[in-house]
Order: sequence, then structure tokens, then C-alpha cells
Amino acid sequence: MTTTPTEKFFGESCVVVRGLKKNFGNFQALKGVDISIKKGEVVVVVGPSGSGKSTFIRTLNRLEDFQEGTVTINGTPVVRGANLDKIRREVGMVFQSFNLFPHLTVLQNITLAPMKVKKLDRASAEKIALDLLERVGIKEKAHQYPSSLSGGQQQRVAIARALAMQPKIMLFDEPTSALDPEMVNEVLAVMKELALSGMTMVVVTHEMGFAREVADRIVFFDHGQILEEAPPTEFFSSPKTERSRQFLGQIL
Amino acid sequence: MRNKSTFSKLIVFCALLFGVFYGLLTLLPWVLRLAPEPIPAHAQLFTEGTRTTLYLTAWSGLFGLLIGMVLALGSRSDFTPVKALSGTVVSVMRGTPLLVQILFAYFALPALFPSLNINDFSAAVIALTLNVGAYNSEIFRSGINAVPKGQTEAARSLGLTRFQTFFRIVFPQAFRLVLPPLVNNLVALLKDSSLASSIGLLELALAGNRVSSETFMPVPILTTVACIYFVFTMGLTLLSTLLEKQLKTES
Repeated sequence: MTTTPTEKFFGESCVVVRGLKKNFGNFQALKGVDISIKKGEVVVVVGPSGSGKSTFIRTLNRLEDFQEGTVTINGTPVVRGANLDKIRREVGMVFQSFNLFPHLTVLQNITLAPMKVKKLDRASAEKIALDLLERVGIKEKAHQYPSSLSGGQQQRVAIARALAMQPKIMLFDEPTSALDPEMVNEVLAVMKELALSGMTMVVVTHEMGFAREVADRIVFFDHGQILEEAPPTEFFSSPKTERSRQFLGQIL
Repeated sequence: MRNKSTFSKLIVFCALLFGVFYGLLTLLPWVLRLAPEPIPAHAQLFTEGTRTTLYLTAWSGLFGLLIGMVLALGSRSDFTPVKALSGTVVSVMRGTPLLVQILFAYFALPALFPSLNINDFSAAVIALTLNVGAYNSEIFRSGINAVPKGQTEAARSLGLTRFQTFFRIVFPQAFRLVLPPLVNNLVALLKDSSLASSIGLLELALAGNRVSSETFMPVPILTTVACIYFVFTMGLTLLSTLLEKQLKTES
């Protein structure tokens, strides 16, 4: 195998997926996915709807169960059992629909897991939370409930909530798809800053501008498998497969 | 400023409920003595009956909440026998008359288990508990189902355990949804406890019935009985409306 630039710049593989298969009844959502993601790498997953990209990202922390294959995070296989909660602490996830806890304030949303899972005391958890809120630019909303925030603000809180566990990998499942257009950029800006800080990220998105600018690698999904993998410049300028050319033609 | 948690509001509600009911019960004989004859002469019996009715409701209501919770969790269990058992208990308790359940608990249970020492009060509590528990479990179940799946996913993805996710995330949200129907059930329980008169438990309804047949004055006696029930059910409804408003301000 030739040495690609990725291998020069990034650390060891922290996500390794081998022969991943997932069925919903008779429907094969993932038909054997193989990929490895290196530390510090930003992988953007694109593809038509129903191609299995969301299912794929959800199998990485096993929110979605799968039938065949293996997922390994930092050397630990992601299997059901005692270790799963431990692995999930190291894998932050941001959802399309934010999924903030509506009965808790913004601050409580962020401090809950550090306090209950990492057993931090309230003062240190709140300090981490307030620092993160400052980082995502909404420190002043700390004591409000999620319902009083705009979609963009809620998603930024969700990112802060995931970061509070100091994860090694961040998963983004269409983080801007439920947002009004004028709020998309504030969330992408936070994600971009995070990528520049060296976070390992897997992002499912339709934001091609973000993909082009931030991704280290584009992964094109179709019909439950990876059809094409390439650095963004290559993928956008000269897509190799007919399906990816079609896809890019439709959305660009 | 930190908001008071759902839990602490619930404690305040229970304390308030207890205080108000205790106050009403203490006031009751004084109020009854102000009423026209033949009420004051039987004030003592009415008060005793009311006390028994309230005890019956309190114990059955409390156990009914626990049983309802257990049955709801059981019906969501991945373990088939537990699921089947919970489902069966709920179906049977909802599918048979409460009167028959009370009679069964009083007459049939001691016959089936001679070692059990069941008096009229505990028989009534057993039947009422299981009955209200079955109805509560359906309420809990729908409340838990109404909390979006994304909430559980977000909590689990943060590394919270199943238990933490349930008690910190799902239950507090479900609780707000189920509070009004649960109070409805409690009000129904307070009224249905009158069926315990069928096994000779001297609660409010039976007390009224006895005085009424002693004095041949059904109109004032039964009106008084109805009024006492009404005061307590109204108290319960008003307090729960208060709690609902308190919980709503959070979200």
C-alpha cells in the first residue's frame, strides 16, 4: 500500500471497522463496511439519504446494534456489556435533533454526565461546563432551560455537553439538518474550531462547503457500503464513481 | 440560581397533602357538631369512618404507585417471563370487578393460604393496591413511551448507565406527563375504597349506611357522607393542579 498524506500527519488508528453488517429485518442497511480512522482525522461521510451513513455512525458507539463485523475504538472492541458504557464516555455524539434534556438547565445538561459518570464534584463540573459554554459562545444562557434557546444555540449546547466528558472522538449525525438556514453557520463554526483543535471527528452532513473546507477525508456511502474514499479536493474535483458524480451533480 | 428539582417539589407536595388532609380530618368533628341533628350525635362515627377511608386510600395509593411502577417496568422488560407476568396481572386486575377482588382478598385468600392472617383492612388494601397499581402501570407505561427515544440515546451516548438514564432522564420527564392521570386514579381510589364496606370494614360509606338505617334519615346522613368525600377529592385535585403548575414552569 502506498503512503497517503493522512498516514504522515495523523497518529495511530483510533476507530477500526471491519466487515460491518446491519439488517433491519430483511433490509440490509450496511453491507460490509471497512474503514479505519486515525487520531486527529476529520472524516466527513456523505451520500444520498437512505445510503446507511446515519446507521453507520450510530453503530460506532453501538447506539445501533449490528449483526456482523467488528468496531474497535482505541483498541477496545465495542461489544454489549460492561465495557460499553466506558467506551461511550470516550465517544461524544451530537444528534440531528439536539436531544437536550428539557427538564434540566443548560448548565445541568452539561454537568450531569461528568458528575454522575466521572464522579466530578459540582464545582469542577460547573467550571468545565462554563468554560465550554464560553468556547461555544453562549455562556450567558447557562441557567436557562433548553426550550428558551434557538436551534443553533441548542446544538451548540449539545456539542458542549458531549465535550464535557472530554471524549477522544466526536460523532456528528447530521448536526445542522434540523436547523434554520441562518443558524447553520454558527454550529459549523464551532465544529470547525473543534476540528482545528485536533479532535478526531466523524461527521455525517450535507454541508458540502464544510466538507470541502474541514474534512481530511470524504467517505461516500451508497446502498449500505463505502463506494469511494478520497481527500476533499480530489473527491469534489474528480469523483471516481458514476454514483458519486451523480450525487455531486444533484447537490452542488 | 439553581432550581428546585422535581423530586424536592414532590416531597413538598406530599407534605402539603398530608398536612391539609390531617387538618381537614381534625376539623371534621367540630364542623359536624355544627350541623343539624342527627349529624352531631354521630360525629364520632363519621370521623372514625373518614379516618379509615383516608388510611385505606393512603396505603393503597402509596403501594399502588410502587406496584404500578414495578408492573410498568416489568412490561418493558427484555425478560419474557417477567413481561408475561406483568401483562397478566394488569389484564386480570383491569378485567375483573373491584368488588369481586375485594371479596376475593377477604374470603378466598385466607382459604388458599391459611397461614396468612388477613383482617378486613389489609384485605381491602391488597385488593385496592393491585387494582390501582394495574391502572397506574398503564399510565406509567404510556408516560415512559412518550419520552422521545433520542433522550435515552443522548444519555447513553454520554456514558450514563441504563439506571441513571431511567431515573435521571426518562422518569422525570415521564412523571410530568403522568401526574394528572395518576391523581385522577387517586381520586377514583378514594371513592372506590367505599366498596370495602362489602367486607364489613367500617369506613365512611358503611358508617353512613349504618347511621342512615339506624335513624331512618337517609337524606341528611348520605348528603353528609357525600360532602365529606367531595371535600377530600376536591382538596386532592386542587393540590395536584398546584403541583402541575409548579412543574410546568421548568420546561
